[in-house]
Parts: sequence; C-alpha cells; structure tokens
Amino acid sequence: MMRVSLAVRPRKKPTIPIEAETITPASFLEGAEIQVWRGNRELPLDEVFAVTIEGAADRPEDVEIVLSGDTSRMKRVGEYMDAGRIVIDGDIGMHCGNFMSGGVIEIGGNADGWLGREMQGGTIICRGNAADYCAAGYRGGRKGMTGGTVEIFGNAGDFAAENLAGGTVIIHGNAGDMAGVELHDGTLIIKGDCRRPCGNMSGGVCVIYGIAYDMLPTFRKMGTEIRDGREFLSFTGDIANRGKGNLIVKDCTYQD
Amino acid sequence: MIIKDTVCPFCGCLCDDIEVTVEDGKIVATDNACTLGTSKFLGDHRMKSPIRRVGKEWKEISYDEAIDYTVDMLLDADRPLLYGWSGTHGEAQCVGVHMAELLKGVIDNTSSVCHGPSILAIQEVGHPGCTLGQVKNRADIIIYWGCNPIDAHPRHLSRYTRYANGFFLENSFRDRKVIVVDVRKSQTTNLADEFVQIKPGCDYAVLSALRAIVRGKGDDLPRTVGGVQREQLFRIVDLCKKAKFGAVYFGLGLTMTAGKYKNIRNAIELVDELNRHTKFTISAMRGHYNVYGSNEVNTWMTGYPFGIDFSRGIAFYNPGETTAVDILARKECDACLIVASDPAAHFPRPCIEHLAEIPVVQIDPYANATTAFCDVQIPVGITGIDAAGTAYRMDGVPIRTKKVLETAYPSDEEILGSVYARIQEVRQP
Amino acid sequence: MSEILIKNAYVIDPISGVNGETMDIAIRDGRIVEDVGGGAEVIDARGALTLPGGIDSHTHICGTKVNFGRYMSPEDMRAGRTARHGYMHATSGYSVPTTYGNSYRYSRMGYTTLLEGAMAPLEARHTHEEFLYTPLQDTMANALFDGNWSILEAIRDGDTKRVAAIIGWFLTAVKGFAVKLTNPGGTEAWGWGKDVTCIHNPVPNFEVSPSEIITAVVKANEMLRLPHSVHLHCNNLGKPGNYTCTMGTLGLIPDLNKKRQTLYATHVQFHSYGGSGWSDFCSKSEPVANVVNMRPQIVIDMGQVMFGKTTTMTADGPMEFNLYRLHHDKWSNHDVELETGSGIIPVLYRRKNLVNAVMWAIGLELGLLVKDPWQCIMATDNPNGAPFVRYPEVIALLMSKKYRDEEFATVHPDTESRVPLPAIEREMDWYEIAVMTRAAQAKALGIVDIGKGHLGVGAEADVAIYPVRADEVDPAVDYRKVIEAFGKTEYTIKRGRVVSRRGECLVDGNNTTIWVKPKISEEYNMANDPDFIAKFDRYYTVRMSNYPVQDEYLKRNLCIETEAEL
Repeated sequence: MMRVSLAVRPRKKPTIPIEAETITPASFLEGAEIQVWRGNRELPLDEVFAVTIEGAADRPEDVEIVLSGDTSRMKRVGEYMDAGRIVIDGDIGMHCGNFMSGGVIEIGGNADGWLGREMQGGTIICRGNAADYCAAGYRGGRKGMTGGTVEIFGNAGDFAAENLAGGTVIIHGNAGDMAGVELHDGTLIIKGDCRRPCGNMSGGVCVIYGIAYDMLPTFRKMGTEIRDGREFLSFTGDIANRGKGNLIVKDCTYQD
Repeated sequence: MIIKDTVCPFCGCLCDDIEVTVEDGKIVATDNACTLGTSKFLGDHRMKSPIRRVGKEWKEISYDEAIDYTVDMLLDADRPLLYGWSGTHGEAQCVGVHMAELLKGVIDNTSSVCHGPSILAIQEVGHPGCTLGQVKNRADIIIYWGCNPIDAHPRHLSRYTRYANGFFLENSFRDRKVIVVDVRKSQTTNLADEFVQIKPGCDYAVLSALRAIVRGKGDDLPRTVGGVQREQLFRIVDLCKKAKFGAVYFGLGLTMTAGKYKNIRNAIELVDELNRHTKFTISAMRGHYNVYGSNEVNTWMTGYPFGIDFSRGIAFYNPGETTAVDILARKECDACLIVASDPAAHFPRPCIEHLAEIPVVQIDPYANATTAFCDVQIPVGITGIDAAGTAYRMDGVPIRTKKVLETAYPSDEEILGSVYARIQEVRQP
Repeated sequence: MSEILIKNAYVIDPISGVNGETMDIAIRDGRIVEDVGGGAEVIDARGALTLPGGIDSHTHICGTKVNFGRYMSPEDMRAGRTARHGYMHATSGYSVPTTYGNSYRYSRMGYTTLLEGAMAPLEARHTHEEFLYTPLQDTMANALFDGNWSILEAIRDGDTKRVAAIIGWFLTAVKGFAVKLTNPGGTEAWGWGKDVTCIHNPVPNFEVSPSEIITAVVKANEMLRLPHSVHLHCNNLGKPGNYTCTMGTLGLIPDLNKKRQTLYATHVQFHSYGGSGWSDFCSKSEPVANVVNMRPQIVIDMGQVMFGKTTTMTADGPMEFNLYRLHHDKWSNHDVELETGSGIIPVLYRRKNLVNAVMWAIGLELGLLVKDPWQCIMATDNPNGAPFVRYPEVIALLMSKKYRDEEFATVHPDTESRVPLPAIEREMDWYEIAVMTRAAQAKALGIVDIGKGHLGVGAEADVAIYPVRADEVDPAVDYRKVIEAFGKTEYTIKRGRVVSRRGECLVDGNNTTIWVKPKISEEYNMANDPDFIAKFDRYYTVRMSNYPVQDEYLKRNLCIETEAEL
C-alpha cells in the first residue's frame, strides 16, 4: 500500500490556478518526476506541494493520495484516473475526476465546476456542495457522463448531470436550474428541490424527492407511484423532443 | 468631400451605405446612418497620446514607452488575459491570437458577455441561418424574440425586415408579418402584427411548448404557459407553418436570462422542427459591429470562437472557465490587456475589483470607464473612421471598413504588431 | 539567389513523360532549372520516390462554411491539438482543423497546391482571409454560381453571352479561380425549403431547369476561355437511384476544349447510387464509369468515403437537411442571398452500416473502373468523405487488392451483394497514383502552363520526396509501406524552399493565391450595365462598390488573364 500525502505550500499568487491532471494513483507508481502547471509555467510537484510518500505499491489500486491545505484552485485532479483512491480534505478546483474510469475520489469540502465531467466509471463522493455542471459533458459533445457514480451530500449548482448518458448521480441536497437537461440514459436522483428539471430529456430516469419548481409544460403526466411509502407523480417526456424519459417528482409547480 | 458607401462601425448590421461628409479633416455630417452610427462618426474628445498612471496622476508618455510597458507586463505574467476585440478589425484580432499563443495566455472577446450562450447552443445543435438579404427578399414572417431592434439595431427593420421591400415581397409592410416576443412592451412591440408577452424567465418553457405544438402534441399542454394563452401559441405555430419563409431574430433577452444557452438551443430546435414544414431560419442580433469577426478569426486560427486558454500551449476552450468574467471574478489572471471594449462599464463588481489589483493596459481611442482601472492606455485610430480593416456582419458577411479620415493615430493592428514583434524577440529569438 | 540540387531522386513526372528515372533535379529561385552551381544546397534523395508537389483539386479548407464547421464543433477540436513550436503555430481539429492545421498536415503529405471547392461570392473576402493563414500551399477558389439570380435570368432569356459576362464580372470581383455549380437550381429552390429532383425539373420562379443552367454555364465558361472547366456538383447528391441523373448530366456535355476536359464532375461517388430507397441501395459505379470512359470531355474526382468520424459541408443546403433528418445530430444551414446555400452536419461512417460500406466501395470502384487515370482524380471531397489525412489509405487501397480484400472482410456482410468491388482485380502502379494525385489535377485545372504539377524545366519547384523506394517495394503486397510513405514526406519543397521535413514544418511560408480575370469588351462589362446595377442595388444587402474583394486581401498572388470571346 502506498500512501501519498500532498500538503499545499503557501503561494505568492494563491488565486492563479494549478492544473494537476498528473495527480492520479497511476502516475505515482511510475516514479517519474511529476510536473504541474501554474498558469503558463510548468513546475515540479514539490514546488507546489510538500510531498510525503509512505509505503510502496505495484498497482494503482494500492495507491492512496491525500491532498490537504487550500486545494480550491487545483484543477483536473484525478483526470483519467482508473484505479486507487484520492482523498481531498478540503475544497477542490474544477474538473476533478474528468474522464475517470475507476477508483474512488472523496472530497471533504466543496467541489468546483465540472466535477466528474464525462466520467466513465468509478465513484466520486463529495461531502460538501458541487458547483455547476456536476457530472456533465463537454461543450458541443452529445454524451456527458457514461458510467460510475457521483454522490453529492450538499447541494449541486445548475446543469447537474447535463447530457447524462449512463451511470448514477445522487444529490442529497438541492439541485439548481436545469438538472438533467438533455438526459439520454442513466439515473439522476435529487433528494431535495430543483428547478426546471430534465428539459429536452430523451431517455433515462430522474427522481426528485423534493419539489420540482417551474416544471416544463412538455412532460406528459402518466399517473402516480409509491416510493418509500410516499406518493410521487410520474411523467414521460420531453415531448418537445420525441423523448421517452421518465421523470418522477414528489411535487411540482408550473410557470403558468 | 462626401464619401459614399462608407461602412458604419457601430452595430452588427454593419450598414455600408453611409455617406460621410469630411471637411477640414473632420467628419461634419453623415447621411443614411442611424443616431447610434452618427454619434460614432461624429465622436469627439479622443485621447491625445498614451498615458501612464504615476501615483494618483496621469502622465503622458510616448508610444514606445507604452509599448515597452505592455510587453514587460505581458511577459511577466503567469496567466495574462487578452480581452475585448469586438470593436476592432480582423487584422488586429489575428495579431492578438498570435500574441496569446506565444505568451501562453487567455484570449477572450466580448461575446462571452453577450452572445456566448448562442454560440454554446450552436455547438450543441448547429445553426440554421442565412444572410440578411435572404430574409429581405423572401421572408413573409419575422419573429423578434427578446430584442428591441429599434433601440439597439435601428436600421434592422428598414434594411432587412418590416420596411424593406425585396424580390419576392414588393410591399413588405403589407406582405410580411412581424411577431415580437418579449417580457415587456417596447418601441419594437408597437410595430408588431402580433405581440406575445411572456413572464420573465419563461422563454424556455414557451419554446418547449411551441415545439410540442409543431409536433402535434399541443393537447398535452397546460392552458397557459409562461403567461401566454395556449390559443395564442397555437396561432403562432399556425402562422409559422403557413409561412413560405420565416426568420427568427433573438437578442440578449433570450441569451442572458435564466437558462441562457439552453434557451437558444430550444429556439434553434424549434426552427429545426419548423423546417420539416416550411423554410425557417434563426439568427442572433449581434451587438458590436465586429464581434462576429472576432469569433470568426479566433475560430480559423484556434478552432474556438472565444474563451481560448493557451496556458498549456495548446488551445483549450471552456466558457464558464476560460472566459473573461469568470477568470476575473475568480482572480485567476495576473495581467490584462484590453483592446477595443469597455469591460468596466459592463462587468460585475468582483471582476472590476480584480482589474484594480493587477496591471492593466487598454488600447482604445477614448477615455472610458475602464480607463480608471488602467496603468497605461494607448489611443489608436478608430476602425472605419481613421483605420481600415475587415469586419464581419451579424450574418457572417465580411465587409471592408473604410478609412475616411487621415490622422496621426496608429491603428490597433500597428500597435499590437509592435507589441507582438517585441514579444517574439524574447520568446522566439 | 537560392539553389537546391536534389540528387538521386527516383522521379515520376507524368506530365513530362518521366516514369521512374533516377535523376537529379536542379532548383533556382523557386523554379526548376537545367543545372545549378557548385554552391547549391544538396539534398540526397537516396533513390526515394520523388513527385511534383501534390495538388488537391477539390477540398474544403477555407471560408465561411468551413469555418462554421469549426465553430460548431468544439468536440472535433479536441483531436489534433498541438502547441506552438518552432515556426509552427498551434493547431486544433481533426475533420475541420484550423487553417494552420490544414496547411501543416497537407504539407507533411507533400501537397503544395489546394483548390477550395466552394466559395460563395458574397463571402469571398472570408475565404481570402483564411488563405493568408494557409501559408504552405498555393491556393485558389471555385466561385459558386448555381443559384445566381442574374445568371438564372440571363439563361431564361437565352442570352449565353450575358451569362458569360456576368460570370466574368463576379470571378474578377471576388478573385475566384473557376466556376462551380453546386446542385444547380437546387440551392435557389432551397431558399423555399425545396429542391429540384433532377436536371429537367424547373427551378421555382425562374423558369429554367438544371440542364439549361449546366449547358449554358459550360458554354459561357468556354467563351471566357478559363483555365479550368466548369466544376460541377450534380443534382441529387446522396439519394438512392441518383446515378440516372448523373449519367443524364454527363450526357449533356459536348467536347468543347482541346486542352482539357469540358466538365469536371466532383465527388462522383455520392452521385453513383442505385436502388429506389435505402433498403435496396446499391452501387452503380459501373454505368457511371462507362460513361466517363466513353466521354473524354469528362474528368471526375472520386469523393471517396473512409470509415470514421468526419464533418460534411457543402453548398448543397437541401442535401444537408436530408442528411440531418437521417442522423438527427446537429445541423447548420447558411443560405447566401441571390447566390447559393450551404449546410453542415457531422457524420460517422461505420463499417457495419450497409449504406456506408456501399459508399466506401463505390468510390474505389470509380477509381478502378475509369480506365484512364487522367480522368479520375483521387480525393475525398475533404472533409465530406473523409478528412484528407486519410489520402494515404485511399492510395493504398487503389494499389492493393490484398488491402481491399482485408478491409472488405470487415464491412457489413451484405455489401458483397450490392457492389462489384470484390471482383475488380486492378491494382494501380506508382505512375497512375502520380497522375491521380497531382498531374491530372494540374491538367484538369489548367495550371500546367503556370508550372504546376510537373518537374520540367521552368516549372515551379514544388517537389515531394516520399520515404519509399518505388523500385523495390511492391505496393500490392507492402501496402502498409505505401500508407506510411504517403503520410509523411522526407522533404516537401515549395517554390524552391524546404517547407517540411519528416513532418516538421520549417518555415512560416508565404503562399500564392491564383485567380482569373477574363478580359471582356466594354459592351459586356457588367459594371456599366444598368439592369445589373439596378438589381444589385435593390436586392443585395451589400453595396456594389463594397462587394469586390479589395487588393488588400491578396498578398502574393498570380492573376491569369484570359481573352474572352466577348
């Protein structure tokens, strides 16, 4: 088992983002020098972090990376990660876990935008809030997340699970505007409230345990169903889009 | 002297039929121009020479000193931001892209605060559009959605829609129907054959409802959507389907309200759906006369229309992250070059606060709101008045703007060219 | 004065009649010369295959439509990204790369001259702006005339001289090189969301048919004595059963020119379809190739499809909308007032899709069934059939039956019953490939006289040296070596300078734009024609004085003046 501790060193310009897609379990196995970028300057990892490595491993599954300190401006941590574990004590910057296909990322604080963008597998757990485009896709692309699980214990921003095409997204708090917009496949579960869910949905399932404010008028009411002992409304749509998605909400309001 | 067929460097209509009267090296009158265009042609109080802030005072400096300062500032930065560009010509924009690439900086234009969402929508579903003349000559139905052309694009109605006769429309006023969709009455709504008043923030729902009606699924809709009676929505769809050629024009009322690019996407998909029944097109009412040009230039040179981050050498694009407002609000840049725009007049407060904290150089003919946040400002010729160059109209038609005055001011392209050459000496010896 | 001596080059230069001679090539100041002095830079080709620089006679690389393909495709831009290094600027994109991406990739494949296949005259300035950022190839553009109102009216009135005069005015104004018709009449009909169904179907409101447009414009083209023939994208692209329309179109064309063809029919693969619908869709390459074989006045290009992702873009607006209805992915359309249209959609050609597999086979069949390689040019209608970076594979498929059979084994199993490809034994040799990738293009475009497409004394010193011993490698067997060699030159020389070496571009470049200017008598000068001027003022949204492309947009350029019969 290899345990890598990365403690952020004080920075002269703390708001300039650091791009650190090299922070993945696999890259610490290779033993090569790891570089990160501060804006347009490439720096060795230990110029940004105090690095401590304990133990050894010969496969990424056996590597755990722990980030501590102000990591709110560290972008792309865990990108393309396929195995192992990354634990972030505090907040994490944008694009954490992009394209991830396996392993676990656990975030103690809040996650910035595009958490788990185009994720294919593995698990992301965020104890705090996730900003906009959590578990979403890339500009112009047809498919967002295609597999794995993203679980947010706080609230999510706007456009959560946009273009979801597989896997599961669970938001324990509220979601913002347009959660599950363009949803193709997979499952989105929102335990709290949200606004205008699932616009242009073509397939997949979305369940909202709270109130769906400003429901779109283009979902056809199919009846009711009982979940966890409570009655939910079941819709199909989006009929603006030949959609055959399933949207289940505890309660909703319309923009009439 | 009267100079005919001059191109107006104000809005995205890029009218090219302006007559400009020049006397004693000054423009004294214009003909055909709207009030916005006229005020630009007749503009006065240009900044005389480059200025530099020294303590609380402004000091006049030479162009060479100003260029020195700019070069040093950009070379020192870890994440320079090169912002603006929509008020200058394409040739200058090209230099800007080369500069951003060599500096490994971020280059963004004003579309990130106007029609950036329209571009994001187009990147998801494409864009069924056409040139303005196609509309003038053919369209028997026009829909203005979330825009007020009488205020913002005053000649749009007379040159292309309401009052413009065309090849297939000999009496435009009679033969064309104009529908205006907006949250409130405006001067434009007064000219409409039909006004659809929707509640703020309800555009997306109304567009979805229209799509469902076009698809024959209107019976599933509630009685009112976003403040609009279902019957009116049915009537609109009926008018659209019966039209021979329809054209939708939308503005910031659609791009900058809740849902942003998803509103535009929904509107485009409505137009796609209508194309199964008749001919329909949709286009953005672009604001600055050459904002579309900066999108075009950026695209052929970098692959992306705005918000391009060269920090890592390759071009990376992610509006919401690599766009000026986001970068400034998050304090991600450590120097800023502003060209041909006035962010301090439009940007949210946290952005302006960051501008106040970092070195800023502005290239602009006039003192403006942003001047107060600059360390150096470099005055230049105004494209279309004392500098010539290429601009792209809102529909993508490129037109060469004219130089109608001889002044001593260098053009944007010349200043940027000097800065770029100096950066090349250091970074690419 | 700069001099280069290429020693030990294994030269194939069809226009000069050289087929596989080991020789030296001397270059001075950008031209091929008899010999050079002792101080010349020496490049030892070591027997490597040496050809005139490649010419693409139909590609989409610059202009409004191409740029819109980029604009709407950030996902495409994620492929092919390179950072700035040396003299090379950053690049992005796979099927619609940035201008620098196009230029560097073409240069690495030995291409030195490119023809943009479709430029809307109203937006010509845009094409010329992008040419300036395509530094390593000489460029030229086809101007679109398929839906030009003034021309449709002149055709309706039976006034072919007026047709020629109008074409002459526009070509000169927009600095175009040749006359392009894309779905003639169809793009005007698309202004109403309609199309024309075949060559005898009238164009709404203009009382002319596509066949009348084609015949009149072909005549006008010859009256103007343009270097290139009419460049035609036939009606009905992409529709099952369209081969009859294609054959009917080719049958309209008389033989009017001694030096070159009278008609260049482009991407004929897309026009050689049988069947009454998608279910009985099949290849009709044989009858189409037979027509070409019997009619020397026709030159075609293949329009080869290769499996994978790409972006389709054409002035043929109605066709793109039909494609959108099939694929339901994103769709862009851009009609150009009084002139033409255009559409763009991304596509994925899949091996296991029967229609796609048949399309793939048809392109190759045309290449192999047209007997004379001078009559069938290798191209993919970049990027419509495939991005041009796939050319080396297309070349290898033409040269190797083994490769074709191996590929055929991977496509949809029913393909065999729909296409003649498996029975075709022909394998092209190096000489035929040299014809199909540069010599035939130069001849068809009419640019041999300005020194393009050959290595004779006086020619432009555009040379491609490929890392392959053509006298040792059997392309039918070692097709992998063919793909590798045509993918990256050892040297690409443009106008006497080494611009690219083993894939690395070495200079910033400075291309030449080639355009034509027919000399027309005052009587036929449209700039003085009251009716032309009045209609221009009334219906265009750009003033006539602001319409022509100003000289500022042509940096280095070559104007070919012709003596029009007007």
